[in-house]
Amino acid sequence: MSDSHDHPHPAPIAPPPEVTDDAGSQALSDALRSSFAIVKVIMVGLVVVFLGSGFFTVGTQEKAIILRFGKPVGEDEKALLGPGPHWALPYPIDEVVRLPVGQVQTVNSTIGWYLTTAGLEAAKTEPPPGPSLNPATDGYVLTGDGNIVHVRGTLRYRVSEPGLRYVFDFASASNLVQNAFNHALLYAAARGTVDITRDTTAYREQAEARLADLIAQQQLGIKVELMDVQVIPPRQLTADFARVLEAEVRRATALNDARKYANETVSKGRSEAVARTNTAAAERARTVEFVSAEANRFNDLLPEYRKDKQLFTSLRYAEALQRIFTNVQEKIILQERADGKPRELRLQLNREPPKPKTIGPEPAHQDKH
Amino acid sequence: MKQNPLTFIVGAVLLVIFVLLLFVFQVRKSEVAVVTTFGKPVRDITEPGAYWKAPWPIQKVHKFDQRIHNFEGKFEQVQTADQFTLLIMVYVGWNISDAKVFSQRFGDSTAKAEESLEGLLRNAYSGVVGRHPFPDFVSTDEKQLKLAEIEQEMLQRVQADSRAITNGLDVKFLGIKKLGLPESVTELVFQRMKSEREVKVSEIQFEGERQARDLRSAADAESARLISDADAQATRIRGLGDSEAAKSFEVFKQDPELARFILELGALEAFTKERTTLILDTQTSPLGLLRGPTVAPARNAKP
Repeated sequence: MSDSHDHPHPAPIAPPPEVTDDAGSQALSDALRSSFAIVKVIMVGLVVVFLGSGFFTVGTQEKAIILRFGKPVGEDEKALLGPGPHWALPYPIDEVVRLPVGQVQTVNSTIGWYLTTAGLEAAKTEPPPGPSLNPATDGYVLTGDGNIVHVRGTLRYRVSEPGLRYVFDFASASNLVQNAFNHALLYAAARGTVDITRDTTAYREQAEARLADLIAQQQLGIKVELMDVQVIPPRQLTADFARVLEAEVRRATALNDARKYANETVSKGRSEAVARTNTAAAERARTVEFVSAEANRFNDLLPEYRKDKQLFTSLRYAEALQRIFTNVQEKIILQERADGKPRELRLQLNREPPKPKTIGPEPAHQDKH
Repeated sequence: MKQNPLTFIVGAVLLVIFVLLLFVFQVRKSEVAVVTTFGKPVRDITEPGAYWKAPWPIQKVHKFDQRIHNFEGKFEQVQTADQFTLLIMVYVGWNISDAKVFSQRFGDSTAKAEESLEGLLRNAYSGVVGRHPFPDFVSTDEKQLKLAEIEQEMLQRVQADSRAITNGLDVKFLGIKKLGLPESVTELVFQRMKSEREVKVSEIQFEGERQARDLRSAADAESARLISDADAQATRIRGLGDSEAAKSFEVFKQDPELARFILELGALEAFTKERTTLILDTQTSPLGLLRGPTVAPARNAKP
């Protein structure tokens, strides 16, 4: 189009030479032809650039879909373009929409934590807690037992295939995901107890289950990769919660001590029991042996005894006494008093000393009749 | 002219483009459109694609975002059925269901629509929350907890109200985002939590002591049982020994007198074997000899 406007420009100069000089008109028509050729090349170039602008590349972490006159080309799933180079018609006709399928996205919970900033928290210069929580600024959740705890979490998720709903059906899908996450944290806390500050596993599972329900119900078209939650008691009560922990540690220590004592006592008892039965067994053996030895001796002595009882006993008795007297450590022999009355003997017995020689009085011996 | 056909083609293409721009419009997926003729809505377009229209001064196209929007209410104070004061905030997902009605009510303004939504939510708060006692919101008892039901009721309420005033928008879902207590109440809750913790500490202490005591006394009992079992067994073993020994007693029956004499003598000897002090008078044989020789021995054989 532009060339047809440009073209007449040289024309007004042309006519006079055409009439006069044939060579001149020849040169002019040559010039015209060559300039026209240049214009044609430029036009073809423009068309090529126009068509070439339709090329685009889809990255590995995404898919794309072409909207022709605003309408997806092909049926939902089949229309998805995978990674690689693609071509679409230029702008007013086709529009390329990239779908963040496979990219991990992150949202943080916005409820449940007291007023602070990451900077203050990292520097540990958070202002000390006031006596109460201001609902406008401080977040918290209520637990099933009517207590207050702080929670916060990070949710990592992927947009699952085909990802069309995530892009075309929600004005800001990530906000809805965030609120679903907030709700899941609140919901799980509402059925828990304050003990979720101790062990977050069950709490996290509840929240995950609730979030999964919401994702399915609202067809958010995402898949949760990872949910991190942190639950703490109110800072106003940090010391009180710490005391419970301390009490538990003390209890564990006391129980360990008791267990140690129990083990020792039982094993002591066991070894004592074994010792006692062993002693009994030894005694049993000794008794049997003793009696049978005596029996043998008796058998040996019996014939002699029968020969002369009187002599036998006297001999044996004397023999025995001899051995006894030699063995006895101390011997005290009392002469009979001249008047024939029994002699009085006083013994001083000391109970305590185990070391000094034991005094074994034998009253039977001094009793006389 | 040689260049005529090309010029013609180019001109025709440009003309077509111009006409298309005037007479055709696109509705993108995620959008809905309303076509107005001299300002009067005549056509609703809900499917994406390209559509004809009369050129500008006659017909106009109004496009609306049909995607689901996230809207959050205010954190509002509500009384529960059992007179607790609760702060509640919900979020809703809403979209335009009828662009014609929507445009009549709110024009192109999403903000106005959200204002209207906020009013609906406030009604739902007071209407629904007021019918539930506090334990329906938070409870460790699964059966008591009615959070999901409350949301459902509020959603139905909002949907019904929204239909009743025909505002052309549809509330798709609703969730409770935040629950809270008035600031002064949080302080009371802290006091209660504090005393709960104290009770817990003493419980743990008491429990620990009791368990430790139980462990110790159980161990003592076990040990005593082991020993008394062993004693019983020891007695049995000794009894066995005695009965075995008793078999040998038969031998002694041949002459019990000799047997007694031997055993007594043996016992006497064993008895006096160590560290013994004997005090004897001269009556004891053979010490009688100390008084001078006699022939008749006074037989005093006693242990």
